[in-house]
Amino acid sequence: MNKIAKLFVTFISAITLALVSFTSSFAKVEGEYIVLGSAISLTGKYSSNGVHTQNGYNMAVDRINKMGGVEVQGKKYKFEIIYYDDESNPKRAAQLAERLIKQDGVHYMLGPYSSGLTKAIAPVTEKYKIPMVEANGASRSLFTKGYKYLFAVLSPANQYLEVAIDLAVEKNGGKGVKIAQAFEQDAFSQDVRLGILDAAKRTGSEIIIDDKLPKELNDMAATLAKVKAVKPDVLVVSGHTKGALTAIRQISEMKVDVPMLAMTHCDAAKLSKQHGKKSEFALCASQWHKNLSYKDKFFGSGKKYAKDFQKEFGYDPPYQSAESSAALLVFKDAFERANSFDRDAVRDALVDTEMQTFYGNIKFGPGGQNVAKPMILFQVRCKGDDCENRVVAPTKWASDKFYHPIPKWSERS
Amino acid sequence: MEKLKQKDLILYSGLIILGLTAPYLFSAFKVQLTYLCVLIVLAMTWNLQGGEMGYNTFGNILFYGLGMYLTASVQVGMFFPLAEWTESGGEKTFVHTTTQYFQGIGVGLLVAAIIPTIIAGAIGYAILGLRGHYFAICTLGLGIAAGEIAGGIEIIGAGQGFTTPPFPAEIVDAEARGKFFYFLSFALLIGTFVFVKYIYGSRFRLILNAIRDNEDKAEAMGIQTMKYKIVGWMCSAFFCGLAGGIMGGLIGYIDSTDVAFDGREMGVFMVLMAILGGKGTLWGPVIGATLFHFFKEGLWTLILGWQYVALGVLIVVIVVYFPEGLMGWLREKYPERFGEVIDEKDRKAQVELK
Repeated sequence: MNKIAKLFVTFISAITLALVSFTSSFAKVEGEYIVLGSAISLTGKYSSNGVHTQNGYNMAVDRINKMGGVEVQGKKYKFEIIYYDDESNPKRAAQLAERLIKQDGVHYMLGPYSSGLTKAIAPVTEKYKIPMVEANGASRSLFTKGYKYLFAVLSPANQYLEVAIDLAVEKNGGKGVKIAQAFEQDAFSQDVRLGILDAAKRTGSEIIIDDKLPKELNDMAATLAKVKAVKPDVLVVSGHTKGALTAIRQISEMKVDVPMLAMTHCDAAKLSKQHGKKSEFALCASQWHKNLSYKDKFFGSGKKYAKDFQKEFGYDPPYQSAESSAALLVFKDAFERANSFDRDAVRDALVDTEMQTFYGNIKFGPGGQNVAKPMILFQVRCKGDDCENRVVAPTKWASDKFYHPIPKWSERS
Repeated sequence: MEKLKQKDLILYSGLIILGLTAPYLFSAFKVQLTYLCVLIVLAMTWNLQGGEMGYNTFGNILFYGLGMYLTASVQVGMFFPLAEWTESGGEKTFVHTTTQYFQGIGVGLLVAAIIPTIIAGAIGYAILGLRGHYFAICTLGLGIAAGEIAGGIEIIGAGQGFTTPPFPAEIVDAEARGKFFYFLSFALLIGTFVFVKYIYGSRFRLILNAIRDNEDKAEAMGIQTMKYKIVGWMCSAFFCGLAGGIMGGLIGYIDSTDVAFDGREMGVFMVLMAILGGKGTLWGPVIGATLFHFFKEGLWTLILGWQYVALGVLIVVIVVYFPEGLMGWLREKYPERFGEVIDEKDRKAQVELK
């Protein structure tokens, strides 16, 4: 027994030594670098969107650093980001936020991907009074908790598809419609659902199917079978990238005819590329589209951003990337206006943000959500085998007319 | 005998002093240390079934998740309407006062210990008749089912998740929250260790071992195996529930499948840690959990994106090279240090027989 005890004591002291040597932490501003921290989903169910987010951040960091960086008190600084992989797991994300703040000494955070993970990180940043600009947590409940250090460049999740219901009602001559809906069981999609419930109440529409889909869904045949039977006017599906892909795959396989199909995450899923004509006529909510007419001096217009992004990463930027890039523009602007690295000064500067970026206007409401930018809807349209997302609402930016109703599968070539 | 006890005393007091001073020495690592305490508790309680009783359970995550939801629900429900708290988009903001927060978490933890214990008794009665793989598969289903069910219950937030009450804002010290949860988990760790050590010195452990080695014979000898199996599982559930309750408060956000009934991570980790250290030993799970946690925290960020591959390799290495865990490996290598006397002639004779 005493030998084991010795062994254990040796082991513990080795660990202690290791820990002590680890404790030297970095500073918030190192030399000419402003260090930001972010936990991103590089693995797990949100990995594809996590990478979109990371690419968006990196793109903006490169661009800002190349164009002179951030000027604070007459000195130029560059951005640097410390990344950790949160494995799409809220528990891990909260732990990593703690680690970024306590061990890496990060004083400014960038958000993770998805509402659930942002919900897990926000209490930590709030506790340590660390300003966090996030670009991918849209759940409305994030903005009703009275968080003071949370700023989101996007519109809240409940607004995603409300417009789609309005559009359906309009096409129905102002009368209420029958809605079938299926949502993944996660914070974001459930919030989109709340938005639809509000819209249904407002327009006197009736919800005839209200299904919950499991996380990491890859089958929703049961819901679609019901849809086939009851023939709703609108089918609403939301479940991040996998939800969008699954819905299109199974709707086309089962030949489900529905006059209107409204979804989220079409561009992140690259629907128009992956499923081509099968995805035609799908109506998608988006925070951003490259054809919008916003501008800034770093990225120019949305079209230019899309081109540069394509060159750098080899694919068209989904809105997840665009909004992530915008988050850094917001930080830069706030640092320069605060003209200081004091966390509270930066936070106060963030509160007063009012700017235009290539991604849209940004102004934070009292809860931290962006109140200056509307959601847009686009529809997948095809010419031959070439499919594209075309903006159909709001009318200010619409490049195409909204096509309604969706032709039956038997009539589609 | 007396001398041995004195050495133990030095070891234990050393560890306790280390545990008590750790949050001050390594202030930045408080959260990881809290995780470590919880991981050790989970590994030790899993060891009671998997190691001592020979019943490989994947169901302990059920009690952990239950504890988490129960603590948070009680903590909120004692003072505010639970449904309004969890309903996202609720415009009202509820704030716990300092007293409410601590009263809530105290009562919550109590409930989180008791209810999972009762449930373990009930479920145990139903399924502990299964043996071997059948039991393992059945318990695997328990955790998954619980996750899906919890994801559908609106009052605890369903798919939206459950934000647990934030630490009272009146306590200005930013370190207070970390310290509070660390000491809570450390106290739980000590409690669990003392309890498990007590079991190790009791007849109860021998009965569990008898069940593991040959359940039919144990029964034939007049042991009511069912009773002991259930009691054993209830003991694990008690501590798992508490561990879950603490983790819920620490993480601050409960998600049905990713945080609470997290069979894919915590559920697997607890098995892995116990096996890594050596199941069926007192110190095995402690050492296994510690090593595992350091491996995870130290290396995972260095191999971003590949960490699960590394974990897979680790599992393979453990199973192939250390099937009995580190403690088992040490025991085989240096049996005399474990106080085992080996009759060389007898050992050789056995080898030849094989």
